[in-house]
Amino acid sequence: MSAPRILLLPLAIAATAALLAGCTATPEPAAEPISGGTLVYATGDAEPGCLDPHVGGNYPQALISTQYIESLVSKNADGEIIPWLATEWTESADGLTWDFTLRDDVTFTDGTAFDADAVKTNIEHLKDPNTASSTGYLAVGKIDGIDAVAANQVRFTLSAPDSALLESLSQPWVGIQSPTALERDQATNCESPIGTGPFIVTEWVKQQSITLERNENYNSAPDDAEHSGPALLDSLEWRFIPDAATRYAALQSGDVDVIDNAQPNNISSAESDPATAELNAPRPGASNRLELNSGKAPFDDERVREAFIRAVDVSPGIDSLFFGTAERSYSVLSSVEPDGVSMPDAFTVDPDAANALLDDAGWDMIDSDGYRTKDGVRLTLDFPISTNQSIPAEQSLFEQIQASAKDVGFEVNLKPTDLSSWYGALFTNEYNLVSAPYTKVGPDVLRILYHSDSIIPAPSGYYANLAQLSDPALDEILTTASQTSDAAERAALYEEAQSIIIDGYYVLPLYDQQNHYLYSTSVEGFRALPTVSAPTFYDAWLND
Amino acid sequence: MTDPSDTTAERLSTRPAARLRSLAWVARRIGGGLFVLWMVATVIFFALRLIPGDPVDAILGGPGSQASTEAVAHIRADYGLDQPLIVQYFLAMAKLAMADFGTSYALKIAVAPYVLTQLWSTLVLTIASLVVAWILAVALTLVTSGRGGPARAVGSGLELLAAAVPHFWLASLLIIVLSNTLHWLPPISVPGPLGLILPVLTLALPLTGFLGQLMRESLANAYEQPFVVSARARGESEWGVRFRHVLRHAALPGISLSGWAFGSLLSGAVVVETIFARPGLGRTLLSAVSIRDIPVVTAVALLSALTFIIVTVATDAIDRIVDPRVATQ
Amino acid sequence: MTEILAGRLSRSNPAGPTAHRWQQLGRNAGAAVAIAALLVILIAAIAPQLLTSADPDAVAPVDAFQSPSLTHLFGTDESGRDVYTRVVFGAANSLLIGIAATVVGLSLALALGMLGGLGGRVGDFVSTRVVEVMFALPGLLLALVFIAIVGPGVVTSTVAVGLSTAPGYARIIRSQLRSVRNSGYVEAATVLGHSRLRIVVQHILPGALAPIFVLGTLGVGQAIVWASSLGFLGLGVAPPAAEWGAMLSSGRTYIDVAWWLTVFPGLAIVATAASFTVLGRALNERTRQGALG
Repeated sequence: MSAPRILLLPLAIAATAALLAGCTATPEPAAEPISGGTLVYATGDAEPGCLDPHVGGNYPQALISTQYIESLVSKNADGEIIPWLATEWTESADGLTWDFTLRDDVTFTDGTAFDADAVKTNIEHLKDPNTASSTGYLAVGKIDGIDAVAANQVRFTLSAPDSALLESLSQPWVGIQSPTALERDQATNCESPIGTGPFIVTEWVKQQSITLERNENYNSAPDDAEHSGPALLDSLEWRFIPDAATRYAALQSGDVDVIDNAQPNNISSAESDPATAELNAPRPGASNRLELNSGKAPFDDERVREAFIRAVDVSPGIDSLFFGTAERSYSVLSSVEPDGVSMPDAFTVDPDAANALLDDAGWDMIDSDGYRTKDGVRLTLDFPISTNQSIPAEQSLFEQIQASAKDVGFEVNLKPTDLSSWYGALFTNEYNLVSAPYTKVGPDVLRILYHSDSIIPAPSGYYANLAQLSDPALDEILTTASQTSDAAERAALYEEAQSIIIDGYYVLPLYDQQNHYLYSTSVEGFRALPTVSAPTFYDAWLND
Repeated sequence: MTDPSDTTAERLSTRPAARLRSLAWVARRIGGGLFVLWMVATVIFFALRLIPGDPVDAILGGPGSQASTEAVAHIRADYGLDQPLIVQYFLAMAKLAMADFGTSYALKIAVAPYVLTQLWSTLVLTIASLVVAWILAVALTLVTSGRGGPARAVGSGLELLAAAVPHFWLASLLIIVLSNTLHWLPPISVPGPLGLILPVLTLALPLTGFLGQLMRESLANAYEQPFVVSARARGESEWGVRFRHVLRHAALPGISLSGWAFGSLLSGAVVVETIFARPGLGRTLLSAVSIRDIPVVTAVALLSALTFIIVTVATDAIDRIVDPRVATQ
Repeated sequence: MTEILAGRLSRSNPAGPTAHRWQQLGRNAGAAVAIAALLVILIAAIAPQLLTSADPDAVAPVDAFQSPSLTHLFGTDESGRDVYTRVVFGAANSLLIGIAATVVGLSLALALGMLGGLGGRVGDFVSTRVVEVMFALPGLLLALVFIAIVGPGVVTSTVAVGLSTAPGYARIIRSQLRSVRNSGYVEAATVLGHSRLRIVVQHILPGALAPIFVLGTLGVGQAIVWASSLGFLGLGVAPPAAEWGAMLSSGRTYIDVAWWLTVFPGLAIVATAASFTVLGRALNERTRQGALG
């Protein structure tokens, strides 16, 4: 006699449950993630003017757009490019055609389907002058044509091979937004862009906060995420607290859960605080460095450049001012760039050698204030400082550099100004020293920063090659590297490029672009995306 | 703070004439106020165009933009920045006359609603601070003046020190003591009255010092007036004398200067809003100037001027009511 | 305030003769302390070497963040510099800006006041409107825009603070000039046929200038606080110059590990501003009593 059919269903269910239990019988984490709650994040970066990272394209935009906009590819902690909205990709033999296979199960939060047409619309949006995109525009600079070959197949046609294409596409500034949303006027899209991400922008109270709510239909987590499906948190509150001391005080009082741009002394205090944890996520691209303007006197003379580098001892200052939270860098590239090369021997401090070099270069007269002169002109270095970009510890470091440069006869004029005036000084070539951070995924940033083409200003007056390095050999290497897809060959070329830059004494590396997050220990699952080290709260939950 | 050209030798006692005079006064003040607003708008217009740098950069979202030459030209034409300066001026004045404050260069949203929201936040802060400062100043002065010795010296000394304290220093001290150590209050401006206490105290205490010193002086002067003697002769108590007669006169200079005090509170609000992460006109102004957002700076300047004018007229009106002599000077 | 400074009736204390003497003593002691403090600050500004032998810009990263001790009275800052020395040397900057700004403000106010008080109806109209416009613009706005145009620095800070304080002075000076012009002895001089210039120089100017000195003394304290606010916002003098406001600003960052970086420069500002105020009020008392005596 067979069992009554009515028992089959519960048996089936039980069996399925047993199977599933077996499948998920991995070692359990210490605590179970709890769904729900609102996490409060306080940022010290400027409030973005527009929440659409296509417009302009700076780091504050990247910080927040990571919560609601996703890119075609991502990067994992080992530095490998991993699938995200795109699942596969192939490059043609001549490097001029790239084919991407896209996920077919993703929708934007306004219901529009994510497909090849959406990708096409987005790239066109970046290239459209009316969008006024800077970073994203540069990133897709070599893409000439986009074809929606099939619903989930898109083909890029390039003007030249681009070995940095995947790295560029992994950045938030090339994130994919809903084409329907992009059709709205820019002001509206800036208020609440629509993406595929785990959260949705619901409210923006200017100068105060942005509210983001969970996207209940989310299913496009990158491969290196801890779970799949919707985010655990109900919502995020993104607050703007520009004052560092206030921001940290707010973390300590429990008014906020996570802060960024943590100051070194706060990080140091937090080390002994059991209720606060730290996440150190250096930004990719270039390291935080001083550029010496070789385009005009006195740094057009390599001996004077070398003398400056031999004269200033920055390591003790970095140690004390940053409370040991920043490590001295001897590389032009960030330490998260695998192709970065560190050359400590090139930066030995030797004031005697510095003095000898300056004498040799003709700066052998000393005036009444102790500064060197040549033909009646004082050895003066103008150093504009952007108070928006340089934290107080860094500004103090520059004061120390000023003091040690004075010991060998340099007069360093520090000029703290606001961002607009700072750019003004750069555009009019009124600087000898400058510290200009540049965040980009991948070593191609060297081409942006040190190729002689980058000395040519854009119509707005902006140029990225602030060292005004113009070396045809270097140009050749950088161009070739940007077209070489062989990883080993590329690495060798970039190593050579970095040697040229460092040996020419164009750059004084200080430390990685600091990006420290401090957060309450009640926050779990919080990590920084390995692309541009922006925070992601997709896996985060509140344990209280 | 009365209009000096308002000199009348007669003391008119007839009511209709007095009412007419009051109306004329109000009309004159309104006209004067509009004139000042126009002058402020003009000064701001030319001053902001003196700042080095191209306004187009601000519109493009910052100087680091990669916008093409066409895009730059397009924006220039769009915003009327390619016109001669004098043409731009008249267009701008015409727009302002119709209360069209334009669009923010950086935020691309309508300026008027944005600035008004920020103004509200700052107004709450400054008015609360002014009220608290007044209360504290009056209390301190009344309690400690009129008697000799230590009480007066202590009161005077406290006021002196309070008036000399910079806002940002006071804010740091208050945060250290009341927030970090005692945990009584939050270090940032949270919604609700609790988050208002520290910012208000920071702005109010130095003003208390200033107002208190002022009141102390005029209180002492007021004590010497003949009406005090006659009041005392009539048998009024000391406190009666203080409240009913002396306070009125002592308050005059303070009331007159409240208009100025309001202006200085607006300036102090910048520091307080920055330190306590409070939205407001001060912070808006600071960031707008630094990114060269001309429409926003213009709107803030005009709004501040308007607020100042309103407060001034109000305090002058109170002046006239509190001290009828003023109306006939 | 006009009435206070124009000098009214003599002060008689309602509380009695003994209290009066205590008050006098208290006031004299206060003035003495203020003068002593100002002398120290003046020495610090003019001859800092008398108060300290160290170099305010001597960087020593190994000595950073030391708390106050016998070797470093006020501790050291983030670059190992001696805070006491920097406070002493900072007096010059702060005092310079405070006094210069007040001079700028008073001069501007005097010019406007003269125009208003003596320039007839047109001059009066113009100067009143100018003062009203300057009053209507918040001081910080004026300062920010001015600094944006010209760029930060000592001169810019000075002018910016001066511009902000000018309208307040202007109003007082104008009332003062007006009351002097309408006074008896000017009338008498006019009747006697003295030239306009002589009247202005002999009678009006001295009458107007007397309270200016007191105003200025009271104002220097406020100007110093103002200038330190600009330094706090990063719009003041260039580094490494020691300036109390800038020191306070950078000290605030480290408030949880080094309280002395915030407390001592702040005390210096308060002490200076308060001393100037006490001095100003004492002078005010003197001139008032002098006017009656």
